[in-house]
Amino acid sequence: MNKTDDLYYIEAVRKGNVQAFSYLVEKYQKLVYTLALKLLKKPEEAEEMAQDTFIKAYQKLDSYEGKSKFSTWLYSITYNACISELRKRRIEFKSLDDRQISDQDEQKMHDYYRETRKEDQEKYLNLALEKLPEDDQVLVTLYYYENQSMDEISMISGLTVSNVKIKIHRARKKMYEFLHEMLKEEVYSLL
Amino acid sequence: MNKLDKQFEEMMKGIRIDSPSSDFTLKVMSRVQAEAAVQKHHLLEDYKPVISKRTWIILIAAFVILMIYITVSGKETTVAPNSGFWSTISGSLDQLKVKEASSVWQKGMGLFSSVPTIAYLILTASLALWTLDSYFTHRHHASKIQVN
Repeated sequence: MNKTDDLYYIEAVRKGNVQAFSYLVEKYQKLVYTLALKLLKKPEEAEEMAQDTFIKAYQKLDSYEGKSKFSTWLYSITYNACISELRKRRIEFKSLDDRQISDQDEQKMHDYYRETRKEDQEKYLNLALEKLPEDDQVLVTLYYYENQSMDEISMISGLTVSNVKIKIHRARKKMYEFLHEMLKEEVYSLL
Repeated sequence: MNKLDKQFEEMMKGIRIDSPSSDFTLKVMSRVQAEAAVQKHHLLEDYKPVISKRTWIILIAAFVILMIYITVSGKETTVAPNSGFWSTISGSLDQLKVKEASSVWQKGMGLFSSVPTIAYLILTASLALWTLDSYFTHRHHASKIQVN
């Protein structure tokens, strides 16, 4: 076990070296905060939720058995805490409509997107992501950005693997649709 | 992952994820330190001495009962010469032929001479245990306070 392994620091914390926990906080704070922000929307609430997540993780560290990645375990704490907070407020996620673009159209949109300026790509991609239902934003971020597997996302979200697959597939297609609409608007505004 | 998935992943890698405030780690760690202190305090509260108060009460009561029993029954029985620790001491005093002192000593010690040596051994062992128990409890307490 080397010093870059999460387990090395987890063991150190378990042995009483509280300061070793700061390595885990540094490493995962951005993703934990991002997930909380996608679900809760408000930065102050997301920051508080992210802090609470790390405190909970510290309190429950002895129950972490190492069967899954530490990140998967940590994101599941974040996700569940945010979901129960939203349930308290009786906020429900909107769902994507059933209309879907074809794979050929998706490929065309991708090529079109690639032709836009680099700085615009990120802006539009973020806007398209924000248009997705909150829980879908989390799934897409975990799968495409954080490289969590379908099984791991299933563990985090409590959804079945097949449900995760369907949701991610639909969310990706929907994002291309949103990108297409935004880029079309931009072309019109330039004309 | 199919081709479309791969392409999308490449795109998504280009996005910048959000960051919490710059002092986020500091805030979390101060809460974690406070949490650790609370956990240690609970550990300290949970600490139980090796010998519980209840056991001590039983031990002391048993010893007192034994002493009373021996004292009461000792008055009625004749003590065999040189049969105990205190008899040896009083015997030695006799040898010194200090009559006055010897008689006072014998009266005082007569009570104790009827107590068998085993009772003194039990008392000594109990006192030693109590001292060790207090010492280790005190040391445990001190080390926890230092860590906090």
